[in-house]
Amino acid sequence: MQLTEVQLDAIRELGNIGAAHAATTLSQMLMCQINMSVPEVRVVDIGQIYDYIGDEYSAMVVFQLQGEIEPGGYIVLLVSRESALRLTNTMLGMSDTDREFGEMDQSALLEIGNIMISAFLDGTAMLLGIVMLPSPPEMAIDMAHAGMESLLATMDADIDEVILFRTELMDEEHMVNSDILFLPDTRTLIDILRLLENVVGPM
Amino acid sequence: MSSSSFYEGRAAIVGIGEYCIGQDPMATIGLGSCVALILYEPRRAMGSMAHVMLPDSHGRLDRPGKYADTAVPLLLEGMLGKGCRMQNLVAKLVGGASMFAQFSGNLNIGDRNTRTLRSLLDDAGIQVVAELTGGNVGRSVVFFPREGGRVTVKRADGTCCDL
Repeated sequence: MQLTEVQLDAIRELGNIGAAHAATTLSQMLMCQINMSVPEVRVVDIGQIYDYIGDEYSAMVVFQLQGEIEPGGYIVLLVSRESALRLTNTMLGMSDTDREFGEMDQSALLEIGNIMISAFLDGTAMLLGIVMLPSPPEMAIDMAHAGMESLLATMDADIDEVILFRTELMDEEHMVNSDILFLPDTRTLIDILRLLENVVGPM
Repeated sequence: MSSSSFYEGRAAIVGIGEYCIGQDPMATIGLGSCVALILYEPRRAMGSMAHVMLPDSHGRLDRPGKYADTAVPLLLEGMLGKGCRMQNLVAKLVGGASMFAQFSGNLNIGDRNTRTLRSLLDDAGIQVVAELTGGNVGRSVVFFPREGGRVTVKRADGTCCDL
């Protein structure tokens, strides 16, 4: 599906608002300042995804998009394994980073993901006028690309390109970096663009 | 995030739905439910790899490396076109994991990819001499046609094994 520059800008703005909400909740949870990168929106050919998401050891908290839309597409909190450990250490009051990513870490990260992604979608609701909700999450601690391609293979249509929306949230005090990836399927994307058009006018 | 050094500078990367035929090292990074279909001809030290995403093309022809049913004939023709002989060809399969059971419902795409490829290779009379498929882990693969068809598989935690 071809997107115009204006449409990409609208999606970037939508993500910007969502990510700002997610950053605020993360900042409250960690009680420190969170810096947010300018969101990147790219239309990426599936054959080139590895340029953006490689096989680094990562924690992925994955939610399917639900709510006042047809369920479909995903939103993902992607954190490198080292960052994930530093993040859960901060939450759990530990300091050891040379350890397995255990059950405690997993449930802490699931909770962080839940709160951040719910905040992200809450933020977008104000602009869209509909509420998108996250499904119960599923987590994988593995290669980021392996997780992404597994999700893409389950998406509605037979896609050749994905809209990769990505914002980086950085906690410099604890050296935590995380990415939020928004992967709406085609139908959801069309719905979102239509709703955005109501706000900003024809695109 | 940066790419891995596992393959960097050493191999041509075969992205999702793409393929490669030749003698130089070729690699696929971060296989989840996708399968790396690898064909090898020992006499010519020639190889090919496709990064198969889905089992069935439903008649689509624009990305033959993406589907099991188009990737098998694609690689076969490519290998024969380089002078390989059918009876010398062998296959190796890597990938086909199931990473998010909740989101794939009844359709375990990884497993279907693997089973479809196996049956198509069987129909073509090509033996699968090595396979590392299924489970719930991601895998990266490098294939060296000039080194006896060696295939190295790496997991997220860095552990490697040869096929």
